[in-house]
Amino acid sequence: MSYQTRRDFLKRAGCSAAALPFLINLPSLASDDKQPRKQRLIIMFSPNGTVPEHFWPDQTGETFELKTILKPLEPFKNRMLTLKGISNKVRGDGDSHMRGMSCLLTGIELFPGNIQGGSDTPAGWASGISIDQELKNFFQSKAETQTRLGSLHFGVQVPNRADPWTRMSYAGPNQPVAPVNDPYQMFGRLYGSMKDRQTLTSILDDVREDLNRFKGLVSVEDRHLLEQHTEIVRATEQEILASKDQVYAVPPPEFAVGVEDKNDNMPELSKMQIDLLVNSFVNDVARVSTLQYTNSVGGARMKWIGVEESHHGLSHDPDNNEESHQKLVKINTWFAEQLVYLVDQLANTKDPGTDHSLLDNTTVVWTNELGKGNSHTLDDIPFVLVGNGLDLKMGRALHYKEEAHNRLLLAFAHQMGHKLETFGKPELCTGGVLQDLV
Amino acid sequence: MSLSFSRYLALLSLTFCGLVSTLSAEESQVAQDPLPVQNPHAVTTTLPGQSIYEAKCAKCHGNSGEGVADVYDENLYGDRPFAELVKIINDTMPDEKPEECVGEEAQQVAEYMYETFYTATARAKHQPPRIELSRLTVSQYQNTIADLAGYFLSNGPVNDKRGLQAKYYNDRRSKKEELKIERIDPVVQFDFATAGPNDQINEEEFFVSWNGGLIVEETGEYEIGIKTQNGFEFWMNDSEEPLIDRRVVSGNDVQEQTATLKLLGGRSYALRLEFFKEKRKDQKNLTASVELRWKPPHKEWETIPERNLSPEWFPKVLVVKTTFPPDDSSLGYARGTSISRAWDDSTTYAALEVIDYILANKKEFTRKHKADSEQETFRKFCIEFGGLAFRRPFNDDQKNFYVDRIFNGLENPTEAFKQSLLLILKSPNFLYLNAKAGPVDSFDVASRLSYTMWDSMPDSHLWNEAQADRLQNRDQISDLANKMVNNPRTKLKMRGFFDHLLQLEEADDIDKDADTFPGFDAQLLADLRTSLLLFVDEVVWSERSDFRELLLSNDLYLNQRLADFYEVKFDHPSGFERVSLDTKQRAGVVTHPFLLSALAYHKSTSPIHRGVFVTRRLLGRSLKPPPMAIEFMDSRFDPNLTMREKVSELTKSKTCMTCHSVINPLGFSLEHYDAVGRFRTIDKDKPVDASGVYTTPEGVQVTLGGARDLAEHIAISEVAQVGFVEELFHHMVKQPGAAYGDQTLNELRDKLAGNDFNIKKLAVEIALTSAAFGLPEKK
Repeated sequence: MSYQTRRDFLKRAGCSAAALPFLINLPSLASDDKQPRKQRLIIMFSPNGTVPEHFWPDQTGETFELKTILKPLEPFKNRMLTLKGISNKVRGDGDSHMRGMSCLLTGIELFPGNIQGGSDTPAGWASGISIDQELKNFFQSKAETQTRLGSLHFGVQVPNRADPWTRMSYAGPNQPVAPVNDPYQMFGRLYGSMKDRQTLTSILDDVREDLNRFKGLVSVEDRHLLEQHTEIVRATEQEILASKDQVYAVPPPEFAVGVEDKNDNMPELSKMQIDLLVNSFVNDVARVSTLQYTNSVGGARMKWIGVEESHHGLSHDPDNNEESHQKLVKINTWFAEQLVYLVDQLANTKDPGTDHSLLDNTTVVWTNELGKGNSHTLDDIPFVLVGNGLDLKMGRALHYKEEAHNRLLLAFAHQMGHKLETFGKPELCTGGVLQDLV
Repeated sequence: MSLSFSRYLALLSLTFCGLVSTLSAEESQVAQDPLPVQNPHAVTTTLPGQSIYEAKCAKCHGNSGEGVADVYDENLYGDRPFAELVKIINDTMPDEKPEECVGEEAQQVAEYMYETFYTATARAKHQPPRIELSRLTVSQYQNTIADLAGYFLSNGPVNDKRGLQAKYYNDRRSKKEELKIERIDPVVQFDFATAGPNDQINEEEFFVSWNGGLIVEETGEYEIGIKTQNGFEFWMNDSEEPLIDRRVVSGNDVQEQTATLKLLGGRSYALRLEFFKEKRKDQKNLTASVELRWKPPHKEWETIPERNLSPEWFPKVLVVKTTFPPDDSSLGYARGTSISRAWDDSTTYAALEVIDYILANKKEFTRKHKADSEQETFRKFCIEFGGLAFRRPFNDDQKNFYVDRIFNGLENPTEAFKQSLLLILKSPNFLYLNAKAGPVDSFDVASRLSYTMWDSMPDSHLWNEAQADRLQNRDQISDLANKMVNNPRTKLKMRGFFDHLLQLEEADDIDKDADTFPGFDAQLLADLRTSLLLFVDEVVWSERSDFRELLLSNDLYLNQRLADFYEVKFDHPSGFERVSLDTKQRAGVVTHPFLLSALAYHKSTSPIHRGVFVTRRLLGRSLKPPPMAIEFMDSRFDPNLTMREKVSELTKSKTCMTCHSVINPLGFSLEHYDAVGRFRTIDKDKPVDASGVYTTPEGVQVTLGGARDLAEHIAISEVAQVGFVEELFHHMVKQPGAAYGDQTLNELRDKLAGNDFNIKKLAVEIALTSAAFGLPEKK
């Protein structure tokens, strides 16, 4: 949705900063080390593999040098980890881009289906939950870690179609979670009209009754869908209930108005989404988030850094095509700069009620569906971690030997206190939590 | 192991071209197809748990876990892990006698349940196709809201008049007595230079207004631009707030002001442009010019053409701005069989948006409901609105539940109004289609007809027919469907169908080597798209509407740019013209340069992409995915080989040839067309060899010498016709054809053939099949 005027936007969002219940600088929000620590996780995605020789540090251990693509992360070098040698070993249906994407956070096969990718077997949605949703559910199941929305899913130029190339987050088998591209829509979801929310609250009971009556009219096979619908309505109700007590530490970010959701606006959209993400974390609306740039096979045209061609197109060019190679380095460096903007914001924002920064309590994971574009390998998937939310031993470049990425996902869960035995496909969790991280 | 895997991954090939990578595999159920076809409905083995389940469980849970009324209503569908299911059966089942099914038996029962109906995948695999409960798809939702509001705002169809109503004044403002010219301007594109519009009008100061409507064909984001050095205000789909306000002008340089709007296709939108030139102190020889332009989706900037302008007045159209998550297209067509939190949130935001809109325009919306109090006006409005939204008038119970109860309980009429409308717009009765089990009444038929034809709710004519209960026999329904087919909304829906069939929606990213194909740029590509759409529109909406003409016509729509690029003699400086070309060189969509360009590499042709497209989309056959992925890497071949030679070499193994024996000859038959669809006779200094033998599913060998032979075969192939029928059925009904009877698709194919392959009549037959389903058969 695009707004013509600022007034239009505020009218739709149903609020202005002044209307929100802020509690700024109140004693209860002052430093209090007794309150439990708020651990947070952000998974940032960019597509089409990286350029390995300009990405991975040559050295391993604590002394390493950042190469061109990761150079912008220099200020955070002692707070980052590069994990080379992690493989997405999920096989089965779907092409590498599809599995690379839809198995990235789920670690489990895709269902057989009818989406045909190139010359591999066709596939449907992932057959299991993704780690972000697993952790969200874990947090939401306990009063002390519960937040109003649990998780947020930001998109930047994710195409408007639902398929295994565009979805990495799954609420469960066959239940892809759509990222929200539109910062204004996300704004509405975060800070939308209180008054509308009251109206909604007063009818939600009736909506459930309505669904219940309606269920009697449909065939037995169809009831399942309506049961799912009822569940969703119930979840909305709980969320609204939770929002009653929500107080905000800081006001929402100031937005430019009418920024259209289009390729050329990617830099601005990226900034807006990151601002909102950081803002939502300060205000503790959610503790898990994904930030997805385009999609697997994504074809952004980064004209603002002098690259006219589509990202995916370039990623297929052979290694000896120096021009394409340089452009891919530029593209990936641009993504690294987005990561830097994000972690910089986190580092410079105080976690309310503590003496720490948000980055002290947040880990950002930057990843990709492929190791390298033109080979379509699912080995050496880029994993760069920044921040201390997971309490890993940072400031290192690690090099593993074809370890299944399930073990890394498992590590994320364990470090957040969720001691799962396996995650995703159990066979790929042999050895348990990935070693050497802490 | 690791070697073969990495080879497998390294050789991923055809994802190269984003186009085929998104080809969806339509599983046409074609008898005796020698290509391997998966039958998704075949239960392959009998599991030992089946007999135990039937003996001990089916009594309460039904034969496929669907439940038994009054015994155990709930179904046995879910997503618990297997081990958990075994444990539940072992520990608790059968009810009250849990010892009767334990250990091995419990394990077997669980296995049977898991494989046949417990999981969603198992159900999809084993259960015969049926008409599934579906929510409104995104486009159905948007159209329904626009029509629901349009019912109160009196939206109507557009007539044949084109251009805009223009009024020219000899004054800085629209002073009545200074009105000098009143006429229809076909387009707004004027350069007055330093003069006035005519000699009655002072060149220093004048005012012009253009009024009318914008006729929009496709749904999407439209950019509107006004290019001028002068002042203006521009309104669109809103007569109060201008979309662009440029009454303040600095300097005298031509600039373009633009704004973006989401518009629904098949509708027209009121527009008004007020333009002026004014005297400026001490400045002489100021100039004036104005141009009204747009950039429709998938197209480049242009002056808004006459055919998209109407001089009539149009009421507002409510276009919902809330974004919805895209529909599930995992079966190859958008359908509403899955829901999510994001979707439910969107229905809330959209409903609130609609309510705001109605409140902001409440006078217009409620003028038929005027009563003594606002409370009563609102109450009456809600009752009518709810009936329309539910596609049948409210019964007493509904009046109470959705309206009266709320109004009686609240003092503030506006809050009651909001709650009532929100409850209606969040109701499953509004959001879902195909719900009702039980006898089919005229309202069911009306709704099925309108959604099949228009992806929207019944219009007032259909509503009246339903109210008079005149939609209970096939002849009546057929008559009505025949009238509906010519509505602009059917045209919009049909266009969506061809977008899908011809993969236009996926072809935005065609990119050709600028050195090899100079001139093949974004503008040319946009023109090619227009050319293809004009051709398809022309064939489908002509009197004969002949399916075969889509394949056999030797006509191509060209404009000057295309004619120059494709080296066709042409002399029409503006716009597109239909040109007849050599029948040996052009055959309908098969040789349309847009498709041939889309189905080719950056520099060279791709017989495999073309062959796969023809096999799946035009011949309606299914292809098994390749057992092994092999990448086509041009650089690995001897550069002197022709493309045909390279592909033959690449796919020569026996394993490859299971499918490539079909794909290759089809793709090779199009080798006369280079990567941008230009006709050629030479490839790599050798004469093009487009010959080949294609074996049909019936085992008939068809000798192909080129594109025309291929097109002629497709035109007469019954398998291809069934494929076309199935695609159109999916697009219109959004349910599997077989859900309406085993033979439905074949019968529709026979009707297509019986009606001289008339596509419009096929659409009517499909609508009839869907609308009359469940009605008693004609005696």
